[in-house]
Amino acid sequence: MIGIECRALTKKFMKGETTITPLDSLDLVIEPGSFLALMGPSGSGKTTLLNLIAGIDRPTSGELLVDGLDIAHLSRSRLARWRAEKVGYIFQLYHLVPVLTAYENVELPLLIHPLSRKERHARVQRALELAGIADRHDHYPRQLSGGQEQRVAIARAIVADPPLLLADEPTGDLDRESSTAILKLLRKLSEDLGKTLLVVTHDIATTDYAQATLHLEKGRLVTEPGEEQRHA
Amino acid sequence: MPDLLRVLPLIAKQIRRRPLRSALTLCGIAVAMFLHSTIDAMRDGVERATRVTAEDSVLVVYRENRYCPFTSRLPQYYGDRIEAIDGVARAIPMKIKVSNCRASLDVVTFRGAPPEQFVELYVPDLEIIAGSVDAWLRRSDAALVGEALATRRRVVVGDRLDAAGITVTVAGIIRSDEPQDENVAYTHLSFLQETSQRGGTGGVVTQFQVKVTDPTRMEEVARAIDAEFARDPDPTATRPEKAFVAAAASDVIEIVEFASWLGRAALIAVFALIANSIALAVRDRVREHAILETVGFTPARIAGLIVIEGSLLGLVGGGVGALGSLLLLRQRPSIGMEGLTVEFTAQPGAILLGLFLAVALGLAAGLLPAIRAARRPIAGSFRAV
Ligand SMILES: Nc1ncnc2c1ncn2[C@@H]1O[C@H](COP(=O)(O)OP(=O)(O)O)[C@@H](O)[C@H]1O
Ligand SMILES: [Mg+2]
Repeated sequence: MIGIECRALTKKFMKGETTITPLDSLDLVIEPGSFLALMGPSGSGKTTLLNLIAGIDRPTSGELLVDGLDIAHLSRSRLARWRAEKVGYIFQLYHLVPVLTAYENVELPLLIHPLSRKERHARVQRALELAGIADRHDHYPRQLSGGQEQRVAIARAIVADPPLLLADEPTGDLDRESSTAILKLLRKLSEDLGKTLLVVTHDIATTDYAQATLHLEKGRLVTEPGEEQRHA
Repeated sequence: MPDLLRVLPLIAKQIRRRPLRSALTLCGIAVAMFLHSTIDAMRDGVERATRVTAEDSVLVVYRENRYCPFTSRLPQYYGDRIEAIDGVARAIPMKIKVSNCRASLDVVTFRGAPPEQFVELYVPDLEIIAGSVDAWLRRSDAALVGEALATRRRVVVGDRLDAAGITVTVAGIIRSDEPQDENVAYTHLSFLQETSQRGGTGGVVTQFQVKVTDPTRMEEVARAIDAEFARDPDPTATRPEKAFVAAAASDVIEIVEFASWLGRAALIAVFALIANSIALAVRDRVREHAILETVGFTPARIAGLIVIEGSLLGLVGGGVGALGSLLLLRQRPSIGMEGLTVEFTAQPGAILLGLFLAVALGLAAGLLPAIRAARRPIAGSFRAV
């Protein structure tokens, strides 16, 4: 199980003359094995925070420890190898590779592990079953519905059995029924497999499944959601 | 290596993803490599037909200032005088008849030689791959036909070969390391003399093939022969056969030399085609590369995928081109001029080298896009649509 610690975590982007600060001196501790929802208005820095934790972006300043490791200072290749073992990332837009079948998409993270074809097959099969999409293994993304694509994406995120799952609005593009199914699946991953989950969401329903909800506003955590968010 | 095998299907799928673009690229590479391999074979053919090697021990004595074989008329009795010269082992009179004197893709050259001398001095260096020398000796109109000529003219033993107003019967097919032997039909000297006879040319031959006793003394012997006949009504010009080929084929050689620039340009085309295709592909896949890195592919590995894709294009396109070139060269194309032949043959080494070049070019062409892809920030790639 993986815990996360952010101290004065700051991320700035330069856009010409202006500086955008999506994360402004953020302090946050996530206990190993917890299932947290992260809410906040659009542009409040949710994706940026997730990217920093996954090591696919680097903080401007501050400290970031994931599983006790100072990932901000790892090289890009070390980060990639670290992610291969520790992190599963689920995108709002699924981001499946269109030329690969569901099966091949899920197999992708395993291609860098020294596994035999048979071992890979067993793992892919298990991930597809866990995500409830095994019957569509030979379908291409364009032949799947949004909810099915997201299940494939989840299977891809869990196939290498990483202890940390990060999901960026995983139900953002789905109808109620599909959303509920995905949320149940995420809760199951947390409860049965002990994974640490951080799920960015706009969907208030998510908070029913998570153990706690964080609110992000203008790059800082707030205890109570502000005006715009309550009406969202 | 096992790594590579695991990702190969992924790369293959990426290549097939845009079938039209990939097909056009492969087509271009194939044509360019076809051109390269074929021109390479031409260069090689010129080289083999014209470069005198240490093993060459045969001089050819022609009438001085002859243009085409039929303007070279030497009395047959010169043979005895040539054999009397120091350093000469044997001199074989030969009558040459060609279907066409100018540079042409389909020349048939007949060489008439005294049968006994031919059997004694030539046959040991030849491989009889069909028919027999005995059959050739028995029939006065028989011919031993070079394999390349037989392939080109599609004749087998027993067939008639018709050219230059002469009809011979194919008694055997011969194979030889010498491009000239591969591209002529050897007949009996008397047969060729008779068929050429238009009012008393009997006893006249085109040339003598002179075997020297010591290959290192070729030049000296050649000078001695020419000196012997300098004051005769029919002065001679004596040189190694390949030197005559080089002189006769000078135009062809120049063209081939020019063509080898085309061959080099073809390699540049291969590079440009692959570079273009890969650059477009990488631009299409910005987000996919970000996905790969997110799931744990290192930037180096992603760069590797791209570079391998480039080399694979080179290998497949180059392979098709090389195959096309091989098929063409299997027809044994050659250019004949003045009864001499420059033959283009497929050299396995050259074909392999061409393939290797295509792969290397593919690799090089993929390098820059690969490095760029490996350096692109991941988070930004997801935002850009
Ligand atoms: N790579 C980037 N370059 C420039 N600006 C960025 C980049 N990533 C995010 N931003 C800016 O940072 C702010 C927060 O973005 P983001 O974290 O995506 O918000 P959220 O996910 O909460 O909607 C936005 O104003 C966005 O425009
Ligand atoms: Mg976002």
